[in-house]
Amino acid sequence: MYTRQNQKNMTSAQRAKFVRAVLKLKSKGIYDDFVRIHGQYYVSDGDTGLRVGHMTPSFFPWHRRLILEFERKLQSVDSSVTLPYWDWTRDNAKTSSIWASDFLGGDGRRSDGQVMTGPFAYVNGNWPITVAVTDEKYLTRQFGRPDRPIGLPTKADLDKAIAESVYDTSPWNSTATTKGFRNRIEGWTVSETQGGLLHNRVHQWVGGHMTGATSPNDPVFWLHHAFIDLIWLRWQRKYPKSGYLPARPLAASDPQHGRVVSLNEPMPPWNTKPSEVMNLQNIYRYEEN
Amino acid sequence: MSEAKENGGGKASPSAHTRRRVLRAAFTAAVAVTGTTAVLHPIITAGESDAGKTGSGRSDAGSDRAGSAPAAAAGAFDEVYRGRRIQGVPTGTADAATTEGSPVVILIDGRQLHVMRRADGTYLSVANHYQPYATPLDTARGAVDVIGGAKLSLAGGAYHH
Ligand SMILES: [Cu+2]
Ligand SMILES: [Cu+2]
Repeated sequence: MYTRQNQKNMTSAQRAKFVRAVLKLKSKGIYDDFVRIHGQYYVSDGDTGLRVGHMTPSFFPWHRRLILEFERKLQSVDSSVTLPYWDWTRDNAKTSSIWASDFLGGDGRRSDGQVMTGPFAYVNGNWPITVAVTDEKYLTRQFGRPDRPIGLPTKADLDKAIAESVYDTSPWNSTATTKGFRNRIEGWTVSETQGGLLHNRVHQWVGGHMTGATSPNDPVFWLHHAFIDLIWLRWQRKYPKSGYLPARPLAASDPQHGRVVSLNEPMPPWNTKPSEVMNLQNIYRYEEN
Repeated sequence: MSEAKENGGGKASPSAHTRRRVLRAAFTAAVAVTGTTAVLHPIITAGESDAGKTGSGRSDAGSDRAGSAPAAAAGAFDEVYRGRRIQGVPTGTADAATTEGSPVVILIDGRQLHVMRRADGTYLSVANHYQPYATPLDTARGAVDVIGGAKLSLAGGAYHH
């Protein structure tokens, strides 16, 4: 059992260790495998085929499994490293310590979005972008979406979503007819000008690579999704009797049959069932302050 | 982690999946070889149309995309946005497999912007996976907002389903 820390409480030695482990995975090519996998399993709900990662009930368990796999790889490099999380409801400034040059580095520059500070700045030599939808080799960010400014989600936004006692509902996708906790946290159900809600809003706010199909290119992806994982855990504690839905495979007559994963069906690429990651308290806990 | 690649994207029938990839690759290759969109120009039937100006409403193309060839032609556009040439090129076919479910293929400076459709008919592009847009034109402009002056990668379609 180990602890995932709030990133703001990490010592400079812990920050350095985490960064070193991430850079090591990058140099071994392992990091980029995660960028590919995340993109590959991003299937939209207007498409046919199984959706495990997004616009789907298994958004939470699939990402819980993904970040656990990444954490295991980090620990194969340095067994004392754990994933930190970023509480964006509190550390919501462009100058928060998460963006310091000894940790994730800062905002992209105005001209081309290129991150110029910290260990993940291209100019510092250890973070070439190789799996991307553009040809640029440098990591990009655009904090707050300067063209049409947005802020990070607030605690009130988050509390409203956590208050939702039902996990998910038919039609089990990203449309406004799908009620429940999962779809509210994913954050599709809002107009373009508002830049999405909660989970989606954070991807938008960071900007650059975090906005696109290869979002894990930005290491903040892992800290964001560790917090998303903690949010799910908080919801699980608040509503211990509200389980994962759908609990059983959907009927063949259901339009979403074969397209979403129920409680005991396997999620690729690990073939892990949502039921297997419902409770991982014997593996890790979160430091909640 | 290599098992992921072999497993494909999930339960979609392997043949459909492969076919779509093949068609997509063929299209991308055509654009790459010419280096421009000259080969596509003859089938652009209109400049910016009113389809691009209805940004406030949600597209309903998702409900009947298979039979929307006339609407597809109307969705064409060709403009310079923030220094980038963005084009919506009707494919002249209703086969969603060639066009990723979009009535037009979106190009930015001649390179294809890969897109996906949401169940409500809105669009996502590889440049922006967390923000839906109502029309292909909005999608193209939104992509430029994210990528700025960066060139789209020819491999871009490989990074989403
Ligand atoms: Cu994701
Ligand atoms: Cu995410």
